[in-house]
Amino acid sequence: MNVEWTVRLRDEIAQAWTVAVKDVKVYYLTPPMLMFGLMLPFFLFFSFSVKREIGVEVGMARLLALTTFFTASSAGPVIIPLERRMGTYDRLLAAPMSLATLLLGKTLVGAFFATGVSMVPLGVGVFALHVAVADFGMLLLGILLASLTFSAFGLIFASIPTRSVGSIMMPSTLVRWPLMFISGIFIPLEEMAPWARVLAHISPLTYAQDLMNHAVLGRGTLNPWLDLALLPLLLVIFLLPAAWLHRRSRVLGY
Amino acid sequence: MIEVQDLTKYYGDLLAVDHINFEVCDEEIFGFLGPNGAGKTTTQRMLTTLLEPTSGRIVINGHDLAHDSYPVKRQMGLVPEESNVYTELTAWGNLMFTARLYRVSRQQRTERARQLLEAFGLWEKRDVKVEDFSKGMRRRLSIAMAIIHKPTLLFLDEPTPGLDAQSAHAIRDLIRQMNAEGTTIFLTTHQIAEASLLCDRVAIINHGRIAAIDTPEQLKQAFQRVQSVEVALEPGGNAHAQALEALPGVTTQVKMGDKWRLYTEDPSALLPEVIDYARANDLRVVSLSTLGPSLEDVFLEITGQQVGAVHHKAQEGGPQKRGGKARRGGRR
Repeated sequence: MNVEWTVRLRDEIAQAWTVAVKDVKVYYLTPPMLMFGLMLPFFLFFSFSVKREIGVEVGMARLLALTTFFTASSAGPVIIPLERRMGTYDRLLAAPMSLATLLLGKTLVGAFFATGVSMVPLGVGVFALHVAVADFGMLLLGILLASLTFSAFGLIFASIPTRSVGSIMMPSTLVRWPLMFISGIFIPLEEMAPWARVLAHISPLTYAQDLMNHAVLGRGTLNPWLDLALLPLLLVIFLLPAAWLHRRSRVLGY
Repeated sequence: MIEVQDLTKYYGDLLAVDHINFEVCDEEIFGFLGPNGAGKTTTQRMLTTLLEPTSGRIVINGHDLAHDSYPVKRQMGLVPEESNVYTELTAWGNLMFTARLYRVSRQQRTERARQLLEAFGLWEKRDVKVEDFSKGMRRRLSIAMAIIHKPTLLFLDEPTPGLDAQSAHAIRDLIRQMNAEGTTIFLTTHQIAEASLLCDRVAIINHGRIAAIDTPEQLKQAFQRVQSVEVALEPGGNAHAQALEALPGVTTQVKMGDKWRLYTEDPSALLPEVIDYARANDLRVVSLSTLGPSLEDVFLEITGQQVGAVHHKAQEGGPQKRGGKARRGGRR
């Protein structure tokens, strides 16, 4: 790699970081982020878990999967249409950086948010409820990988050419909620009907939930290495339609 | 600096920009004029990589924008029509963010941010969140953000509308200063007076096509037939409208404050007619002058708009034209 490309790569990484830090400062405390990213996963968890006899360990693993999924995938769909409406997204698109860098920056924003929010149930579980985590390293790696992957997943919806948060949240909800129900969060994979278990494999949340089960409980349904390999692979796959939709926005004028 | 070849943009079936060609030279202030919906902003968005052309080619500093936009983006600054600042950040935070995005070194960005905030009268407000800024302050900050990396090419989209006279004047001075220091300016505006004050050359776009492109003075020369006599009478009032319109040689009249502007192809023949009218009606001529075409006249002529027609319509329920013309001139 020649010097010019090394400098360019260093610049692009720094720019992605700059975009992410700016979004953290500007958007983390906005009402849509707090509602869709912070409160929704907790509401969902308690709605489906109250009066069900599940252990604290199982509950924590489920809540961690839910928070990474909903919190990370909410950031892009909230931030990008807001930026498009304010005209600030043009500032990013006109800057000397590649689309991949911009998408990486936006992926980091959601991932940081989800990782941070996940620390709440993790902290409560470990310090207040004395949950014995089977593999703490795997758990932290799993939270980070799942947050990155689901943040990229949210960018697919965020890249829809529109300036309205509502127009993005509707298709995003239509896709995310069914995924939640087929991913072994509320009905474990081993208790699912065979056809439902096949369906579960198309959901990225299945692999995150299974990884959380391995890390917290010490047991899961799938191979943990498969989970660890698939999550980063899905991260890259999710960025492809996001990039395509961004190019489409450039044609349509959003 | 900028070469635009056969540039075209369709939004679905709507043709917004229709095979336009023009060049912008180094260190030039180039005005891009047109009425609302003419294709100005669409063209500017294509030049700044925000919008993909349907067809055609844009070359900036030898780089084809379709394949090699990165070096162009490094040299380019953009001030859009709406001040796109981050209201949740301070003025300082906005500048630091932009400087980091353009990879301005730590020492340079703090020096440059300080210089710009002082020059724009925002230094005292540097730690205030932009949500508390006035429209003029946001505009100034938006321009500061666009030039913090010292671009050699600056795109400005309607930089002064809605600003107080002092802020508008300060922004025009800054444009001149940057141009004197070697920055090429591409100014998109519908404010003819501003283009006339600032631009070395202007292009007038209408219905997606370039209708004229030249220096402001050359354009005015080309439209010598759009001349006028301006008269202020005492007592004034709207009562003179029909009589002045009926004077021989008047093609249309427009009331401008306490004056009447009478458009004619022969001002020297019209002058005695105006004086005779004043004498006959026992009116005092407060002022009387002949005017050549302004850039605004040229613009209206080319774009087929007619200030007088709007005035008449409001006054009397329909356009008053002599000789049955639909609009003054009629050349496109």
